[in-house]
Amino acid sequence: MSRAQVLAPLLLALTAHAAPRSSTDETVSAVQRLSQELASDVRALPAEAPVALYFSGGSAELRRAVGSVLAARLAAEGLAPSVVDAPSAEAAEGVARAQGARTLVRLTVDVEAGALRARGDALGTWVNFWSGRALTRPARPSGALVESVEADAEALALASVGTPPTTTPPTGGPRGIRLLGATLVRLEQPVAALAAGDLDGDGRDEIAVLTEENVSVFTADGQLLARRELGSLPFSNATTREPFGALAVLSGPPRLAAWSTRRAQGEVLVLDKGRSTLRPVGTLDSAPLGPVERGGFVPGQTAFQAEVRLGDGKPVTLLSPFTTASFASPRMLFVHADGTGSLYPRVGATPTRLSGLGAGSALGDLDGDGTTELLTTSALLQPSPDVLRVHALNGGDPTVHEPLWQGPLPTGRALFVVTANLDGDTRREVVVGLSKPDGTGELFLLRQGAP
Amino acid sequence: MKSRRIALASLVLLGSASAWGAGRTRYGGEVRVAHAGPPELGEPSLADTPLEATLLGLLSRPVCAVTPEGEVQPTLARELSRPTPQVTRVTLPNAATANALARAWTRLSSTDGASPYRALLYPLRGEGRQVTASGASLELALSFPWPDLERALCHPALAAPVASSTPGPFSAAGRGALDAQLGWPRGRPYLDRLLLTATDERGLARLWSARQVQVELGVSSETDNAPGALLYATYLAFSPRRLPTDFRQAVESSIDREDLTRLFVHGPAVPMPHLLPPALMPQPPKPRPAAPAAGPARTVTLVYDAALDDQRAVAERIQVKLHERGYTVALEPLARSALRARWAKGDFELMLHAVLLPPVPGPALAVVLDAGGRKDLLGVELPAIGALSDAAARDARVRERALALAASLPLLPLYAQGLGLRAMPEVGGLVMDAQGLPMLDGAFLLPPEGAGTGGRP
Repeated sequence: MSRAQVLAPLLLALTAHAAPRSSTDETVSAVQRLSQELASDVRALPAEAPVALYFSGGSAELRRAVGSVLAARLAAEGLAPSVVDAPSAEAAEGVARAQGARTLVRLTVDVEAGALRARGDALGTWVNFWSGRALTRPARPSGALVESVEADAEALALASVGTPPTTTPPTGGPRGIRLLGATLVRLEQPVAALAAGDLDGDGRDEIAVLTEENVSVFTADGQLLARRELGSLPFSNATTREPFGALAVLSGPPRLAAWSTRRAQGEVLVLDKGRSTLRPVGTLDSAPLGPVERGGFVPGQTAFQAEVRLGDGKPVTLLSPFTTASFASPRMLFVHADGTGSLYPRVGATPTRLSGLGAGSALGDLDGDGTTELLTTSALLQPSPDVLRVHALNGGDPTVHEPLWQGPLPTGRALFVVTANLDGDTRREVVVGLSKPDGTGELFLLRQGAP
Repeated sequence: MKSRRIALASLVLLGSASAWGAGRTRYGGEVRVAHAGPPELGEPSLADTPLEATLLGLLSRPVCAVTPEGEVQPTLARELSRPTPQVTRVTLPNAATANALARAWTRLSSTDGASPYRALLYPLRGEGRQVTASGASLELALSFPWPDLERALCHPALAAPVASSTPGPFSAAGRGALDAQLGWPRGRPYLDRLLLTATDERGLARLWSARQVQVELGVSSETDNAPGALLYATYLAFSPRRLPTDFRQAVESSIDREDLTRLFVHGPAVPMPHLLPPALMPQPPKPRPAAPAAGPARTVTLVYDAALDDQRAVAERIQVKLHERGYTVALEPLARSALRARWAKGDFELMLHAVLLPPVPGPALAVVLDAGGRKDLLGVELPAIGALSDAAARDARVRERALALAASLPLLPLYAQGLGLRAMPEVGGLVMDAQGLPMLDGAFLLPPEGAGTGGRP
């Protein structure tokens, strides 16, 4: 199945959902907002109809989406737009002139640092008869165009569409990972735990978020599927100063296990998509670390005890308590409070000692090559900005080698990272849970972008 | 919970924040704290200097704290809610805590409570004299709309007396050691232990220079401290019945508030020209009036808090300045409890009266009106203020009333102080709350740069 085919339902859902979304603007997508800004700029030039539009950068899908929406807006302004195809920005001038356009708008669109950006220029294509063979340009219209809006899940999906599968170079050199990010969901409270898994059986993962007050499930495009308040659970006698907890999508029948340290007990929940609810079906006697892995909280601390019980009931005893656990069969990763990590290549093997890890660490196959990568955030207490790094796991401590990719994250402490299969393909997406400086929370989604 | 998220957001690190630790604050360790306060503390309504309130707050906290953004953040309470607009429900960890708190508030509000902080509970039905616990909850019914009740309840004077039934962030472990309390409803402190040393100013200087302590409380502002809000307000209260009508003018014309804060009291301190401190009422000072016409010589007694060096220095200054106006001022230091008792009976001519005002204008004005002996005004002023649902409008109204009422209160505002603090670089996470008090339960030890790691940043 091609990537475009896989993403088609997602894109359809993204465009079909006019319901409020959780990102910045409640109703208008990033592509719409960017096009609106660009249309205003073109009108203000002022542009002379007909207007030709030429796009470069990003993915073909993103270029086409911005082109279509911008053309529609310009048409509504009576500017008779058309989208031209040309091998280069320079060649577009001739194509536009040949098509009878009087204005050419050349834009490069891309998703970068969480923003959907367009940069370029506008020029007049009319050539004075008295110029003869020289292709002179008119004085007007002309101008530079630079616009940027906060990216959303839709823009991110468009930007990542059509990227050819990345393969491991035969030389073992750096693989092609280039992640593009956008805000997926804004939360009123900081994240206490994060998980991803297929809760509705559609073959694609949902994203579950635990805060002090509730547990929520979101779709791949940030739509809230269901939320359950935790207020009915008894208070814990040994809570933590910071929001913390355990959250996992359990194996077997799709269930979500959630336990906030504010509460004395956790719950097992089932997603009832029809009613948009999370229905409790049981309580927890241990902290859910993974689909089948269980642990225990260190009372009052944002950490788990050093003993982990695996799916077969066998215990694994770590060197010290840990703050983060990630499982990508057969590998297991535990991040300790001092920024060190224990990476088990398989159960029962001697762990590799890692260093310089942040609490936001996870294992996942980001490039679809069948091998797991290590993702980790900064080990600093107050990084500015926090950085996500992706390391190849080739044996030994991967953090001592150059990362496959690294990039800055939005403002805030990135204490939670999970990988998720949001579109059914072999490459996993990355969801980062951020605690923002204003006391709110944010989910930041990263996808493979066009190279 | 919005308040909790704002508390997280208001983290002000006094130390370096670039240390390693998997991005999370680390637990454990002990910090040595020296202070210039008394080794033993009294009940919350009397332990009301910023330093004493801070020390008491290590062992017993009020039900909530006001964040710098003005939000209420539950601390001792599990939660504060309003089941109806006229009822506030305070849910506490257990029934014993609820009962202890109800008893403490009832005692504070009683006629023999002798505390101006009773005004914080004035909007409650029965003026707070009938607070009863229902299981682990307190249901507080208002006698008139008072949206600022929750923020008033966060005042340190409304903390329960230190007892095993009322958990605080720390518990006394003997010899000045305080151990982190695992059951503290807001979450155990990051540190395992605080080691407190009570000393004097010279002792503070010696311990600091010898690096024998990591945090010092009560240091003067000439040093590298980081003060919070200055809300410890000192007034010169006078008895209108025993002093001539131009006494206010005599004081205003002779006392230079700038002089007091610059030369006579410990910093951090600011002149307070109006009824409320500049933090709550940022109006410019009034021009100083001319001296009144000379009258017959008078002898008056000025009582002040014997435990406060600042008050002794200011009392002596007032003694000198009023002498120029024909007043012979006798000074009488008193224990704070005796001072409050004299205040409650109105048994004084002149009194230096200091109160720790809440960081919210409405409740602060209530305390000041009561401190000025005009409890009768509470029933007139507070309902009109509480009727305004918009917080900004309410605060503006309070400032307006404070200006209008200033001349009718037998109180001369002098200065407002805060708590001076300094910390070694290895101590992080010291947050000043809106009350201007440091929350040591949020402090932690920063690991040495690069400790335990070898990876790239």
